[in-house]
Amino acid sequence: MPTLQFSSLSEFVQMGTYSFHVWVVYLLFVLFVGYNLILPGVQRKQFIRQQKRRVARDAELATQAASRQGLNNRSAE
Amino acid sequence: MWVWFAKLGSPRWFYELSGKWLPWLYAAMTLLMLVGLTWALLFVPEDYQQGHTIRIMYVHVPVASISLACFPLMAVAGAITLVWKMKLADMVAKCVAPIGLWFTGLALATGAIWGQPIWGTWWAWDARLTSMLIQFFLFVGVIALRSAIESTDAAAKACAVLAIVGAINVPIIKYSVEWWNTLHQPASSISFDSAAPNPPEVWVPLLIMIGAVYLLFIISLILRTRNEILIRERRSQWVTDLITRSQS
Repeated sequence: MPTLQFSSLSEFVQMGTYSFHVWVVYLLFVLFVGYNLILPGVQRKQFIRQQKRRVARDAELATQAASRQGLNNRSAE
Repeated sequence: MWVWFAKLGSPRWFYELSGKWLPWLYAAMTLLMLVGLTWALLFVPEDYQQGHTIRIMYVHVPVASISLACFPLMAVAGAITLVWKMKLADMVAKCVAPIGLWFTGLALATGAIWGQPIWGTWWAWDARLTSMLIQFFLFVGVIALRSAIESTDAAAKACAVLAIVGAINVPIIKYSVEWWNTLHQPASSISFDSAAPNPPEVWVPLLIMIGAVYLLFIISLILRTRNEILIRERRSQWVTDLITRSQS
């Protein structure tokens, strides 16, 4: 069975004399994991927001075109 | 088999299927990551030469070994793009490149931080380190090439060719530690004997971390590919429906 290698929290933080090296590596790793999981979600939200605006704009242009069409039809009568 | 292959080429089919896989992949990754990190930080015995810096291995080795999977994957996807013109393959090839760049970058950075106390230097022009640096620049090259070509089809072909040619660097990285006897140590053989230099309490947590980082890679690739599918298929009816239905 694996045994716990540290008898106190300060010993754990110090990592022998290598606290800087070990903790910087693990900090980079945590940032890396977070970046890889969060960035695609942010990009997805941005894309969906932008496309919603496009769909709304297209719909508005379509109604404008339709009403113009309606006016033209009436003036022709 | 061929029906399955043809279906897999359909971005919409992949989008819907991968949406069902994601929760399971997230769950498996979280579990492995928690077990692996706890074991690596708290329970792995100190190395008799390297002391606690041995804990750096549990980040460095998984990230570096998975960075080596990126180029072959991109090359295979590129070959499929060239032969069958499968749209999904090119989307995957495009999305692997930045992930591979980040994995290679982190492997180089954690290697430098590990090298400083153990080798006494942040960097050396050692065969393994140099070939990894070349891989880093090859990823930069693939990304730059794609953004330089406006036509999606032309970019897909050019990047596919570069990916296939660039994949030659992967066996060079892999065997660099055996072909050239420089600074970086070769891979250690594993042993089930607890008195051996590399006993199970050292490599079992390493395997767990490799599994966790592999899942991270797969999840990240799926998320990016799903975005790419939405972007390229934005004019299609199913994406418009999906956008109008979504809350955000």
